[in-house]
Amino acid sequence: MPLWEKRRSAWVLAGLTAFHILLISVQVPPGAGKSVFEKGVFFIFSPIQSAASGAARGVASVWNGYFDLRGVRRENRKLKQENFFLSQDVRFLEDRLRFAESEARLRESLAEFEGSILAARVIGVDSANPHQSIIIDKGSFDGVMKDMAVCDRNGSLVGRTIPPIGFKTAKVQLVTDKDSSVSVESVGSKLTGSMTGRSTDVCDLRYILATAEGGAEGEELRTTGYDKIYPAGIRAGVIKSIAPDERSPIFRSIAVTPAFRFDTIDAVAVLTRRPGGGE
Amino acid sequence: MRDTVVRDLLQAFLGTVVAVLVYSLAGAGAPALLVVFNAFSIVVLYYSIRRGEVFGALLGTMCGLAQDAFSLGVFGVAGLTKTLLGFWTGFISKRIDVGSLTRNALFMLVMSILETGLWVLLTALVRLKSINLHGGLIFLQPVVTAAVASTLFALERRARARSSRGA
Repeated sequence: MPLWEKRRSAWVLAGLTAFHILLISVQVPPGAGKSVFEKGVFFIFSPIQSAASGAARGVASVWNGYFDLRGVRRENRKLKQENFFLSQDVRFLEDRLRFAESEARLRESLAEFEGSILAARVIGVDSANPHQSIIIDKGSFDGVMKDMAVCDRNGSLVGRTIPPIGFKTAKVQLVTDKDSSVSVESVGSKLTGSMTGRSTDVCDLRYILATAEGGAEGEELRTTGYDKIYPAGIRAGVIKSIAPDERSPIFRSIAVTPAFRFDTIDAVAVLTRRPGGGE
Repeated sequence: MRDTVVRDLLQAFLGTVVAVLVYSLAGAGAPALLVVFNAFSIVVLYYSIRRGEVFGALLGTMCGLAQDAFSLGVFGVAGLTKTLLGFWTGFISKRIDVGSLTRNALFMLVMSILETGLWVLLTALVRLKSINLHGGLIFLQPVVTAAVASTLFALERRARARSSRGA
């Protein structure tokens, strides 16, 4: 019997282990772009996920629509959709009004978002940690590209689209992910910093000097737009607590509660136009 | 032999599709469930005992990479842990008796604990940051995973016994 036959199991294990170690080692330190191989795996399995979520929704839909409730359901769906877009519009109008300095600036700001809100449904959450990423049912065929801001139904910031982006699916990095960073400022005291995630339901407001004035518990944080990813004025979170940073005394340790609620992001809005008007 | 390899690869792919379906349905029901329940591990454990170490390793690779593709972690970490899970589950189960429900559940629990431990260790190592343990909730994952997988085995055995009695 050839050696291969005798030691087949051991060769298979050794080959697969070596393959994985190689795969992991080319990505360390993290931060490089996604490999073609990873994108390929996502492309293969994301339609299955999309179909499974669709089937689950279909079963639920058949069940709910039983006993001739179709008319009521159709109307309800229409109203929900209208409500979704109205909520978005109201939020953005409020935000724009607050930030606009003149009528001309207001018009310019509003034009930025005209026809650029794409409603999407959440079809999956991160398989390792639900606070890191979600998967939505809109992809490159719908005009979704990387680094587009994503908001919840109330216009609060959820995150941004990241690769891999499939034809009908896309991955969204949540603001609660530990590798996420959003430029924000507090509404009252104009305290500017970087909101970073912890991969839990709480974020941090970083790089606030201990000597900096302002900032209070309960104060709202909004995006500044400096990062060129998130448009300015979107609600990002609320200051939860402020304490001296023991590890780095020159900064303050500020905990932030994200504005979006994880348990209500079944539907989201993708802002297909970036700050400055670029798509 | 080539036929066997192709058949194994196809079946491993179908097993992965099953895992993605279970993961998607669980995620659609309650996202928080995914912290205490690993659909990919259940499929790997189940088929590794059924089909042996080589198939277990292949299925582990596919399921692990699929899990990695749906996560923001380093691509390949779950692939490696699930490959080892599949291989060693198939290898050991051929050498010890895991027939009874208790032995089966205990064996799966031990394998799931080892897999979770290795995953936590590797993730902490390659991301160079402490990982989120969800207030310790993640340690429930091996228990729930082993319980679900051994229940599947028990149900399958009962169904087979019933069908053979009926025949």
